[in-house]
Order: sequence, then C-alpha cells, then structure tokens
Amino acid sequence: MTVLGGIGFTAPWLLLALLALPVLWLILRAVPPAPVRRLFPGVVLLLGLRDDESITDRTPWWLLLLRIIAVAAVIVGLAGPVLNPQQGSTGKGPLLLVFDASWAGAPQWDEKLEFADLQVTEAGRSGRTVGFLRLTAPQAPVFQAADVQQGAVAGLQPEAWQVSAPLAQQAISALAGASGSFDTVWLSDGLDYPGRDDLLTALQQYGDVRVIQSPFPVYGLMPPRIEDGSVLLTVHRSSGVGPRRMTVLAQGRDPSGTARLLASANAVFAPGETEIEATLDLPSELRARITRFELQGQRSAGAVTIADDGLRRREVALVAGRVDREGLELLSPLHYLEQALQPTADLLTGPLMEMLPANPDVVVLADVANLSAAEDEALADWITGGGLLLRFAGPRLASSEMSRETEHRLMPVRLRAGGRTVGGAMSWGEPKALAPFDKDSPFHGLSVPSEVRVTAQVMAQPDPTLADRVIASLNDGTPLVTRKPLGQGQIVLFHVTANAEWSSLPLSGLFVEMLERLAVSSAAKRPDASDLAGTTWMPEQVLTGFGALTDAGNLPGVEGPDLANAPLGPELQPGLYASEDRHLARNVVEGDAFPGAADWPADVPVEGLTVSRETDLGGLLLSLAILLLAMDVIASLWIAGRLIPVRTAVPALIAALLLLPPAPGAAQSGDDIATALTSELALAHVLTGNSAVDDIAQAGLQGLSDTLFFRTSVEPANPAGVDLERDELAFFPLLYWPISADQPIPSDEAYSRLNAYLRSGGMIVFDTRDADIAGFGGASPNGRKLRALAAPLDIPPLEPVPPDHVLTRTFYLLQDFPGRHTGRDVWVEAAPPDAEQIEGMPFRNLNDGVTPVVIGGNDWAAAWATAPDGRAMLPVGRGFTGERQRELAFRFGVNLVMHVLTGNYKSDQVHVPALLDRLGQ
Amino acid sequence: MNEPVTLRTRAEIEAGRLPPLLARAERLAGTVLLGEHGRRRAGLGDDFWQYRPAREGDSRRMIDHRRSARGDIQFVREREWQIAQTVMLWVDQGASMRFASSADLPEKIERARLIGLAMAILLVRGGERVGLTGTALPPRRGNAQVLQLAEMLTRDDEHDYASPEHRAMIPHARAIFVSDFLNDIDEVELALTKAADRGIRGALLQILDPTEESFPYHGRTIFRSVGGTVTHETLKAGELRTRYRDRLAERRDRLQSLCRATGWQLGKHHTSEPAQSALIWLYHALDGSRR
Repeated sequence: MTVLGGIGFTAPWLLLALLALPVLWLILRAVPPAPVRRLFPGVVLLLGLRDDESITDRTPWWLLLLRIIAVAAVIVGLAGPVLNPQQGSTGKGPLLLVFDASWAGAPQWDEKLEFADLQVTEAGRSGRTVGFLRLTAPQAPVFQAADVQQGAVAGLQPEAWQVSAPLAQQAISALAGASGSFDTVWLSDGLDYPGRDDLLTALQQYGDVRVIQSPFPVYGLMPPRIEDGSVLLTVHRSSGVGPRRMTVLAQGRDPSGTARLLASANAVFAPGETEIEATLDLPSELRARITRFELQGQRSAGAVTIADDGLRRREVALVAGRVDREGLELLSPLHYLEQALQPTADLLTGPLMEMLPANPDVVVLADVANLSAAEDEALADWITGGGLLLRFAGPRLASSEMSRETEHRLMPVRLRAGGRTVGGAMSWGEPKALAPFDKDSPFHGLSVPSEVRVTAQVMAQPDPTLADRVIASLNDGTPLVTRKPLGQGQIVLFHVTANAEWSSLPLSGLFVEMLERLAVSSAAKRPDASDLAGTTWMPEQVLTGFGALTDAGNLPGVEGPDLANAPLGPELQPGLYASEDRHLARNVVEGDAFPGAADWPADVPVEGLTVSRETDLGGLLLSLAILLLAMDVIASLWIAGRLIPVRTAVPALIAALLLLPPAPGAAQSGDDIATALTSELALAHVLTGNSAVDDIAQAGLQGLSDTLFFRTSVEPANPAGVDLERDELAFFPLLYWPISADQPIPSDEAYSRLNAYLRSGGMIVFDTRDADIAGFGGASPNGRKLRALAAPLDIPPLEPVPPDHVLTRTFYLLQDFPGRHTGRDVWVEAAPPDAEQIEGMPFRNLNDGVTPVVIGGNDWAAAWATAPDGRAMLPVGRGFTGERQRELAFRFGVNLVMHVLTGNYKSDQVHVPALLDRLGQ
Repeated sequence: MNEPVTLRTRAEIEAGRLPPLLARAERLAGTVLLGEHGRRRAGLGDDFWQYRPAREGDSRRMIDHRRSARGDIQFVREREWQIAQTVMLWVDQGASMRFASSADLPEKIERARLIGLAMAILLVRGGERVGLTGTALPPRRGNAQVLQLAEMLTRDDEHDYASPEHRAMIPHARAIFVSDFLNDIDEVELALTKAADRGIRGALLQILDPTEESFPYHGRTIFRSVGGTVTHETLKAGELRTRYRDRLAERRDRLQSLCRATGWQLGKHHTSEPAQSALIWLYHALDGSRR
C-alpha cells in the first residue's frame, strides 16, 4: 500500500490515469452538445443557410468541469484509497493482550475492546497467535489463532474490583506456564496498584511490552459520610487535570416503592484538584430511602457507592411506664436509652397509639406492664408487619400478672412472680455477671465487660421453648435477654430495667453494642472487624464492573471480620451484604487513599487509546462519480432544453398528489344527522327490508314532498328511510309504514320507542297496500301482518274516517282517500263518544288531537311515487280517470301532512263560513 | 377551441366592436349579382331601407333614436344596399399555421380563423356576400353563411404549407388572404396575378408568431416544420439570426411589390398583438378609405 498525504492507495498506478484528464478536457470540449429540436414554421426561410464557422459550439465550462471531476473521482476511486491506513506492526511471534479489566476501565471498555479487536485483527493478518490475560481474574493465557480469539476478546467484561497484590502474584504464576517468548500489549485502566511493577518485570522477560493507557482520569465516589445531618460524598480522580463538573445522584425508592432519582448534588474539580466533596442535605425520611449514590455519566463500579444501614436513622418510639417522677432524670427509665440512641436514631415520644401510625422501626416499652386491649392489638399488628418490640423489665412488670400463667403474646417468655434480687443487702448471693454470648446469639462476638453486674431481674419460667429464646444470659444461666419472633417482627425482652436501677448494663458500652446488634440503632461509624466478629454476612446484591447492581445469586457468605477488612476480589465482591436485619455495603472505592494514576518506566512505550479505523474511500468516490454523472444528465437535458418546464411539472405533480386516494372522511356523527334532519322537515318511511317496497315508499314520499313543495308552504327535505331498531324517530312528524307480509317484527325496544313516538304526537300511516284484493280487516296476508305488527302499539280505538273528520278539509276538501287503489276504508282514531253534531253546523266539534295512526290499504306511496325525472313511476287507473285518482291521492297526502303539522286547526269553527262558502252551501 | 360554436361566439364578440362594413363596390356593373333587395328598390337615391329591432351585436351608434323614441323597442335604421359586394376569404389552414411559440400565445391558425370569421360577420351584417375561395363554399348572404364559414374554417389542412386557392375566383369580387405566407411565394404570386387578371382586389394579412420575427434561438438546433416535412440543422442558430431576418424582410418586400403591382394591400400581424388591430386594418383595407 502506498501512502500519499495520509491516504493509502491499494492500486496507486491507476492514479497515472489522472494525467489523461487534460486530454479529456480537450476532447470533451470539441464534442458539441446534443442539438435542440424545435418546431419552427419559418424553417423554409432557413433552407440553404450554411453555418459560417466550422468550429462548433462548445460545451459550457462548468459542465466540462463536472464531467472531469466525475472521471477523476472514478479514477481515484478505482485506485483503492484508504483513509487511516494501518501500517502493520513489525512484531513476530505470539501476542499477549493483558487487560487490567478492573472497574476503572469500565467507562472506556468499548474503546478498549475495539482496540483489542484491532490488535487481534492485525495479528491475524501477520499470522501471529494471540492470547489474553485478565489481571482481575487471572488464568494462564492460551495462545490461539487470531480468528479463534476474536470472539473471546469481544466477550470480555471488566470486574468490579481492582487488581490487588495477590491477584498480581496469581497472574505472574499464571504466566510461568507460558513457553517461548511473546510480545505484550497491556491495556491499562490507568490506576496504580500493588504488584504492577513485578508483573511488568515478569512480562518484559518474555518480550516487548506496549502499554495502552487512556489519558483521562479515573473517577471514584467514596461512601457517604454524615456530618451535622448532611450527607457528604467525596469524589476522587486519579490525576488532577483541567476543571470538571461532577454531579452526584442519589438514587432510591419513592414512597410507592418505585426506583427514582431522589436528589442530586454538584461538585466542581478545580484544575489540579483530585478530591472534592459534594454535600446533600436531606430529611432523614428521604435519606433512609436512598439505595445508592452514583456519579452522573460515569459508567463504572467505582462511580457507584451503595448505601447501607450507616445512612439510615431508625425511628424509635420510646414508651415508659413511669413518667411521674419529674426531675429525677437519671432514674428515668428512658434516660440511658435516649443517651444511647440519640446520636444514631430519631426518637419519638408520646402516647403509643399516636406513635404507631408513624410506623417506627422499633418500639421500646420500658417497664410497661398493662396495655389496653386496643393498644395490645395495634402493637401486635405492627410487630406482625415487621416491627421490633423491645421491652425492658422493671418493678411494674415484675409486680404485674402479665404473662404469668400463660405466655402473653407480646412477651417472649412467661415470667415468675416477683422476680429476684441478688447481691443486695438482704440477699445472700453476689451480683451476677454476664455469661459469654452463645454462638447462635446475635450478640456473638461481643466482648463482655467484666464490670457489668446485674443485681435484680425478672425470672423466666422454664418452659420448653425457653432455651431457644434466650439470646443472653447471666453466668448462672438465668436468661438476661429473651427473644421471640412474631409474624415478620420480633419481641425482645431485657430482663433488667433500662436504667441503672437493676444492673450496670445500661452504663456499659456493651449496652450500645447490643442495641446495634438488635438493629435498634445503627452504628454511628462503620463497624470494624472486632465489631463484626462472629457474624456471617450473606451477599444480597453485587456490583458489576459497569456499576450495575445485580442479584448475588448463590455467592457464599462472608465472615464479619473479612467483610470489614479483606480486600475486594473474586471472593469478596463489592455489593450489599446482610446479616439478620442489618445491612452492610462493601463499596469499590473505600478507605482514605484513592489510587493514583499508573506510572510506567521510561523504557515502556505508553500509547493513548486512540483507534483510527481504516476507511475505504473507494466506494465513496465512486458514488460521488455516479452522483456527478446524474447531475450531468440533468444539466445536459437542461442545456438541450429537454427538461420538463417547471410550469408543466408542478401542476402535474400536484395532480399526481391529488390523485392519491384521499383519507376516508370521518363518518357523519349522530349529532350531524340529527342537525340535518331537524333543520328541515322531512317525511319518513319505515324500512321493511323488502327493497321493492322500500324503493316505492321512498319514491312516493319524494313525490309527495315535491307536491307539498309546489302547492303549499310546507317545503320538506328529501324523505328518509327509518330503521326502527337503530334510528331516532322523534325528528319525523309522519311515518309511512308499508306493510309487507315478510317484514320482521320489531324488537321490544323498538316498540317502546314507537309508543313514545306516538304519545309525543307522531303519526304512523299504515298501508297494507292490498285494498284491491281485500277489504280492511280482511284476512289478507298483509292484514294479518298489520295486526301482528300493531298489537304491541299503544293505539286508541279506531273508526272509519267520518265524513266530518278534519282530514277531509285540512287543505283540500276530500270525500274519499284513494291511492293506487280506491278502497273505502281508512281508519283513524275514533271521535270521543260525547261529540255530537250541533244543529245547523256541518261538522262536529272535534277539537282535540291528531290521530296517531291512519290505517288503510290504498297503496298511497305507489300513487305518489315519482321518478327523479318527474314521471309517475306506477300507473294508476286508466286514462284521465286514473290521473284524477292520482291527483286525489296527492291531495290526500297533502291533507295528511297538513293534518299532522296543523293538528285540529281546520276543525276550528272559525273556518266554518269559509268552508261552507267553498262547499257551495 | 376548434369548436365552430366557440369560434363563432368569439368572432361575434370581435365583430360586435365594429360598425358594419360597407364594402366598396367599385366595379358596379358586371359584378352585380342581383339580390332580392335590388328588385325591390323603391327609388334611386333613397338609401333608407327599413327599421329593424336592434339585435345583439349592434352597436349603440346604430340605434335610430328618432324611431326608437316612439316606442319601447330600440330600432336600427338599415339602409338599402346599392350593391352587394362579393368577398372571398382564404384562411391558411396548413400545418405551419398550427404553431405557437409559447403557451401564452394563441396559435397562428387560431388567430387567422378568428380574424377571418370576424371579417365575414362584419361583411354579412353589412349585407355582403361572403364565401371561401375555391369551390368549397360559394359566396352567400345571411347568418347561415357565417355558420357554414365557421365550420369550414375549422378544418385543418394536412399539408405543411398550404397555398392560396386561385381557382373559381369570381371576377371583380374582393378577396382576403390570411396566412403566414411562409409557403411557396410563387404560388402566392400565381394566385395574386390570376386575381388581378380577373379584376379582383383585396388584402393580404400576414400573421406571424413573434419568434418567427425575432428568431431568438442559439446553439445547436434542428429546426423542423410543424408537419415534419422540412428540417434544417444548424450548429450555431444565433449566427443565422440576421440572415433569417433578411430573408423574412426580403419575402415581405416581394409580397409588397406583388401587392403594389396588383392593387392589393399587405398587412402584418403578430399573434402577440390583439386581434382587433388586424381587424381594423382589414376593415380599412376593404373599405378603401385609404385609397
């Protein structure tokens, strides 16, 4: 590969073709552009005209330039240009990749892997075998072919701990098995650690060592400290470079248990500074919910610190039996408890029933014997839910009958009456000392001060369960502290008082330590090895190298002293450890000193972690050439005048867009339909399901509507077909219901609506359409169907239209009501029985109401039916009489609609003279 | 636009702007084909013929207010024609006329038909007999002839360059030739000389597209006639401009001299100009007022 100006060429000789470009320029210049073809009637005048010059028109220079660049791009592209050409390393023999693989490298782990991948690829090109060694989990390296190792290298992960001296020794011993010589590429994480020099020396024995180390500092977050109520978090970095702003995030759970960001604090590194502090002021309620702190934007275990009990302040409710001894502070049953708990816990005092809803972690009952039933119940519930009830004995408890005969549920043991006093003036024995703690006891490992003496105690009844429940006893074997689980919580009884009356225990440091072990109080400072002696801690969650908390799985437990002191490693992974109710975290960055940046001897080459991938430019250039040639096509067309003019193209484009299928319009909502129907009057017919009948009904109502429009001031809109099951009827004054024998009976719901429609003033015109073959009420199929249909309807008594019915004179004066047939019987609501014709008056006074139904069989719709072009659709009668019959049918329709709309208006006697005049009487 | 009805309507609109044209009958004797009104002539010197109700297309100045004031209807006073002049039209319908250099301009043939028919309407309204040259549509009077003319004028000629029809010319009539006159000049000359031999006088109206006048082309171009029969390729169209325009001027000079020799008149019209100007020119040319 030849490198010219930072770009390598795989086929550099092809570049000589660039020399031909000027020639191409001349050639292209001489070739005229394609001719423009034009329509021109005046061409006859041009015939015979010769061009003056033999030199032709030239291609425009910019078009030439475009083509030259395109050709040049092709030539250069074919020459195989490569950006950042990798000059292969000269080494021979196997290659060992050494990873620190600690948390410190996690933020740049991807770059490290990419670099390693590059090294492996390169080694593969020169036929070298490759092995790798992770110093945080050293195993003897196996040298294999590069392509075999490529996948293995890509799967490497950083560990959450730092390389320690023992691990370095392990690594050296793992190397001992390797034979021959090899070169080493050491991907350092940038932090110093013990044993690194030895390892370097060991590696240099085998061959050259190159160190790859990022120049960026490593950041670490120390566990929180609590000072004056605020949380202090120290942020370290390995080298003091320029200023840097760090944000510390406090992650935890909100009251509903959802993980979220609870607080954040900023701290700014001044240039050269390697250590700063961020301060978080949090209410203890919030503080107790924090699960971990982390540095924003740093993806490593060192940037995470897990919060444990050290951050929690427990809430302890103190309840004392005797509160009447005002002023005698030192004798107060709660004095020593308060002193012991004050630094590390939030104390609640007050009535028990008021404190329990605050859900304290611990309730201390100091010499409380009698609880009310409600208190008893509430306390038992609270314990069952996980509370710790800590009871102290005292004179009241000793003298009470509580838990005497049977074990009280809030007492761990039964008590003997009266208790005992030892070593007093009136007793024989010596005051008793404490026996060493059992292995099973939560106090195991605490040293017992010799000066603690117990002079009085309450005595436990020797029950079968007693032995299990004793967690501390006096040296004569009598129980001093007993414990009983209840639900998820527990009850602990100190058989002495909480003050110094019965024993010197509250005066000793052991008392505080015992409270800590019971998780009544959390330690003010981190427990050391002696504090944790005798305890075993199970890992609950462990950190990955990237700082994520994962379930610990089945990792083995850790002895307390080891947890406190042992260096982190595969056996003691950083994470959260639990023992009984206590939680302790081991964090990655701990202690006072943060490791500095790794310094390498002058003879070891140290390189930055810059990866510059080879980039093949050939494809890019060839694409550029194609693009330029496409532009050349457009430009040539433009010069030749062949481009579609914008004026043509734009409307065509718009038309094409318009031709796209339009989005389906939103279906008309029910409100819209209602608005349309109510804004104008519309007649309606019932859809029978028989399309022939429905079409005739529709056309008939259309014809009637047109007639109304032409002859009266009623101007209906287009008639509507009504589906009784779905449609609202209230919009229509008149419902034409043609009866066909095969139509379905409407549902009950439809009938209820039909009845409501009739009661609210609607009119239904039933038309059996069979007056030609059957009289009304006859046994024709339609007649039977009508009876079936109308049975559920709320129809008043009917009668044939009387001659003085208002229907005969609402608009036209009519005597009979023909449709397509001329049946006589049309039935309407019967007149009230008291209506009588007054002498001299042509009409009875029938002033009330519109008949809700009109029943007939004259097939009116067929007579009204009008085609869209105005022709009658069906013949009526013969000749002129037929037309007269149709006219009368229309008149009946007009009268019908008028009757519906005007009610009994025309039956008012006011109109009688005019009507008489028209009747010629 | 080829619809006869549309053309008729637009031509009526054009014609409505001019008073009826009284063609001058110079050669009274011999050319007179007696029409019906000639027989009814009441007396010499009295040129009043009749009052007729005003129709659409009549201009206001034609209204006889003295007569109209006696009733609610407006009347037009028509004079008796002393002579019915015969006018023959030739509108070039060749393919070369179907050309417009841009979408904003009408095709030459459209403009030619419009002007020709407008002229015919004017003449018919004035009582003249109008027809086409040749035997296709002999001269007649009346509005029906206008309809016939409109129909005949919408028939495209397949030939690339049409030549004036010089057969069956009625002696001593008048003639209007509307064309671009890019066709064979000898044919035009033949037609004009034949017409002059028969005592026919008239006007030539040359209708050109603006680009045919200015020749705004350059670069390598293949020019093609509309019918595709004639092509000419040039490498530098811009170089041809002056020579083309020289040739165009030369052709117009030839036409001009022909006209001068035969007593015709030559007019020039560009499709970018309003049709009215050409109509007015024709009106004056036939009216003979510029004799």
